[in-house]
Amino acid sequence: MQLAMQNVSKRYGGGNWALRDFTLNLGPGVLGLLGPNGAGKTTLMSILATITRATEGNVLWNGVDVAVSPDQLRATLGYLPQDFGVYPNLNAMEFLQYLSAVKGLDAAASRRRIDELLNLVNLTDVRKRPLGGFSGGMKQRVGIAQALLNDPQLLIVDEPTAGLDPEERVRFRNLLSELSGERIVILSTHIVSDVEATATDIALISQGTLVAHASPEELLRQVEGKVWEWILPSADLNSARQRYLISNTARRSDGVHARVLADAPPASAAAVTPNLEDAYLYCLSQHRSAAATPVAAEVLA
Amino acid sequence: MNSAHVLYHMVRADFLERVRRYSFLVTLAGALLIAYGVAAEKIWIVVGNGYRGVYNSAWIGVLMAVCCSTFLSLAGFYIVKNSVQRDVDTRVGQVLAATAMRKDFYAVAKTLSNFAVLACMVVILMLAAVVMQLMQAESHSFSLWHLWAPFIFLSMPTMLLTASLALLFEMLPGLRGGFGNVVYFFLWTAGIGLGAAGTDDPSGMQLLYRSSRETLQAIDPTSPQNFHFSLTIGGEQAVRTFVWEGIHWTGSVLLMRLLWISVAFLIALATSLFFHRFDPARSWRRKSPASGKTSNGTSVATTPVPSAVSASAIHLTPMPSRDAGSPFGRLVVSELKLMLKGLRWWWYTGAVGILIGELVSPTPIARSGFLVAAWIWPLLLWSQMGCREARHATTGLLYSSERSITRQFPAVWTAGFLVALLTGSGFALRLLLSSDLHGFAAWLAGAAFIPSLALALGVWSGSSRAFEALYTVWWYMGPAHQMPGLDFMGITPASSSPAGYAIAAGALLAISYWGRRSRMAYV
Repeated sequence: MQLAMQNVSKRYGGGNWALRDFTLNLGPGVLGLLGPNGAGKTTLMSILATITRATEGNVLWNGVDVAVSPDQLRATLGYLPQDFGVYPNLNAMEFLQYLSAVKGLDAAASRRRIDELLNLVNLTDVRKRPLGGFSGGMKQRVGIAQALLNDPQLLIVDEPTAGLDPEERVRFRNLLSELSGERIVILSTHIVSDVEATATDIALISQGTLVAHASPEELLRQVEGKVWEWILPSADLNSARQRYLISNTARRSDGVHARVLADAPPASAAAVTPNLEDAYLYCLSQHRSAAATPVAAEVLA
Repeated sequence: MNSAHVLYHMVRADFLERVRRYSFLVTLAGALLIAYGVAAEKIWIVVGNGYRGVYNSAWIGVLMAVCCSTFLSLAGFYIVKNSVQRDVDTRVGQVLAATAMRKDFYAVAKTLSNFAVLACMVVILMLAAVVMQLMQAESHSFSLWHLWAPFIFLSMPTMLLTASLALLFEMLPGLRGGFGNVVYFFLWTAGIGLGAAGTDDPSGMQLLYRSSRETLQAIDPTSPQNFHFSLTIGGEQAVRTFVWEGIHWTGSVLLMRLLWISVAFLIALATSLFFHRFDPARSWRRKSPASGKTSNGTSVATTPVPSAVSASAIHLTPMPSRDAGSPFGRLVVSELKLMLKGLRWWWYTGAVGILIGELVSPTPIARSGFLVAAWIWPLLLWSQMGCREARHATTGLLYSSERSITRQFPAVWTAGFLVALLTGSGFALRLLLSSDLHGFAAWLAGAAFIPSLALALGVWSGSSRAFEALYTVWWYMGPAHQMPGLDFMGITPASSSPAGYAIAAGALLAISYWGRRSRMAYV
């Protein structure tokens, strides 16, 4: 089981490149696709889900070009789009039955699976209520259930925890971890804690390009010795922000405790253990400075 | 910031948003096509004993203004009847509701933004009228006042009235959807009839009627005895011309036009009484007490919400290999269920009543009464075809499914076809029993044509309104009035053309397929 993205680029009308030369090979496991808003995550998800076509490059599913044989991927794809709707007059069971018919699944087997999925996402008690009356979180759970209908080998979930409350988020993360096994799960999000809890691999994407692809441990190693806790007076915080990358602040009685990402520590700052959010911010800032440098040089010239 | 400034920006934003839409361009193209029809002498106003006016500024101006008023007051209504819904969909409404904006202010702003869109089309037609007179060159006297006054005094008030009615229909819960679209068509028909019957009407047709009658009376004294007035497309042609100098815009005439403008503003203000200020609870109660669905697509949980994913170990039945594929019939049944879901008991009662009528009533009544009724009854089911996915944002789920275009898409059409077959089956049975094979062929072609038209318009417009509007007009002119060429049901042997409609059904299906195909990355 392998999903390969080879130099995938996507240009929208007006010449906007949402993705540039994106290359990544994936095997079974959970890939956390992290990036800021507008980084190109949803575009990449749409290409992988065969919703949109790459302008350049190829996506290969088990060695077969998706552009040539999209149904080979679709047959084994579970997709939860970022923005999706439901038919308000159908109930959860009917909606899943409808989608199982659309996906061409065996009727008897899908009936059993729908019951299990509704149980899994804890919607059994409300399975006969029209979806129009569901809250955002409940609809999201219906979306999760439909993505798992066909027992997918490739599960793509785009911002799946949007609209879920903290308890639901934790449970969804657990579900993803349990589901991973012998399948490829791509979890696109900008919520670092979701990825931290579930991902076996992380791909950082920014401005349409792949910034880093590594395990969480490798990413964390990159920022080891570069994260500091600095206690400073409140009045100095703004000037500190201009000089350093600060990932977090907390006001205490002795001043502001700032979490600083820097190669060299500010005076009197103490080293702390990095977390994934630090690694994410550090990698992005490095990428942005690298991208800005040639432009700056050009302007100066 | 003063009110005028706020009003200007609300109208401007709404106007820009809509004139950049595809539907605006399509309607504008339709209006320009009518202008071309006038220029190419395909559209006539015939008065008296086969008279038409000499193509001077006055006649061209009034002819185009009347065409513009009649066409845009219908098509334009469907174009602008979405201004509040868009605020709901985009959640901008909730932002506006949280400001100090008054309800009547919002209603007037929305009416004016509707009007701005329609008036923009009128202005383009005013410019087209200048070109038209230069092209016609029948009369060399050119007067911008005579050419444009009918647009200003006839078309513009009509557009304002259309704009306010569109808002009213959008605000009234019962008229907000497809049913309102059908009701408006009949209201529009009645309005046109009002002018033709000699009563002061919103479009001002009556003014032209009176003025041309007076002029003709002086030229041809026999004319007023059997005076008639008709706006025809490719129909009766004028054989004589007369010089008409235009409507005299007297104080009383202008006062009457001002009255229609006042009516439009009164409707706008009355509409504000029904404006729910984007309150989800109020619109929810009106819409569906059982479902808890709000007008803005958000939801109100009515029972305790169960917690999410269970933390217990997951057990899911493995899905068997799908080499054999799933029967197409199951998907058709699913689409049919989706189509019928949510219908109330009275819909089924009506459908069964019509079906019984088809079976037991005398043949002429069954043919021109019950069959005609049978194929307007499911209008709102067919109008969802091809656009349901876009409307409910399920395209991502469907387009990522295997063989979606070769399975789900034909299943949608088949479900629509089945609805036509079922609702019209009573009459079909009678045709077969009486061995009326030509009639049966026409019936079958009609049954295939309806879902094809619905699918094509749904796919290409992305909305149900295009089908609701066009089909109602078509149904009214064709089957209901047996207009040759438009009678897709074959109500009379003279008006039926089964082969033509079978071909049209196939062509529309191909157009629908092409439309859906072009929206998918891969087949």
